[in-house]
Amino acid sequence: MKRSYVGVILLAAILMMNIVFTQLVVHQYYYENYGVTLLYAGLNVLLFPVALFIYKKEKNKGGSKGYEERNLS
Amino acid sequence: MSDRNNKVPFDEDNYTHNINRNNERMLDRRGFMKTLAGAAGVFAVSTLPWGAVAAKELMGLGDKEYPHQKIADVKDVKVGDSVKFHFPSEHDSAILIRLSENKYVAYQNACTHLRCPVYWVKDEQEMICPCHHGKFDASTGAPTAGPPRRPLPGIKVEVKDDVIYAVRVKRYEA
Repeated sequence: MKRSYVGVILLAAILMMNIVFTQLVVHQYYYENYGVTLLYAGLNVLLFPVALFIYKKEKNKGGSKGYEERNLS
Repeated sequence: MSDRNNKVPFDEDNYTHNINRNNERMLDRRGFMKTLAGAAGVFAVSTLPWGAVAAKELMGLGDKEYPHQKIADVKDVKVGDSVKFHFPSEHDSAILIRLSENKYVAYQNACTHLRCPVYWVKDEQEMICPCHHGKFDASTGAPTAGPPRRPLPGIKVEVKDDVIYAVRVKRYEA
């Protein structure tokens, strides 16, 4: 079976960045760097559409049949 | 492979195992990616409140200014003396200390331990809480001895035309 893990790896990387940015947001907020806080919060929000885009692009990659196809027979 | 999770491991003759689940619980690559994208969405939403409060602080809404309140005339407060007053409301007792010719500090004097009134001891140059002998550093408000662990909330003081005014309460730092 052919597999495509590019999407999985990219999405995992995005999730990692999400975690890092969230942590930075909280820290920078308590350090009272509000501009930086807003910047990281914005980046965190922006990562979501990127993740959706990657998901849409990658969901039909790879050789495995989709759910509907698999259950046709 | 695709039927692996759909096989019945033994012959069965009953009325409960005759439902064909059609892989509905199987976590495949696509489902996993969907979970990851959804988690990214959760993170995005969860940072919004932080962004909102940060924006609020940036616009200066968090730093509330109270109407200036006269504490005392400069000539009535000698260096090393203290004055009691109430700020911002009449129930928030506070203390003003003149540390040097031009240095005034003011704190809300409810002890951060159990809210007893902290007073200024001129001889020892320290603020002391009578209840449990907590001590505070006069120049910063930080606790130096006893049970209190948090600093006294500072009050910003302004001197104009030989009159001392209380302007605003500094951010409470836990």
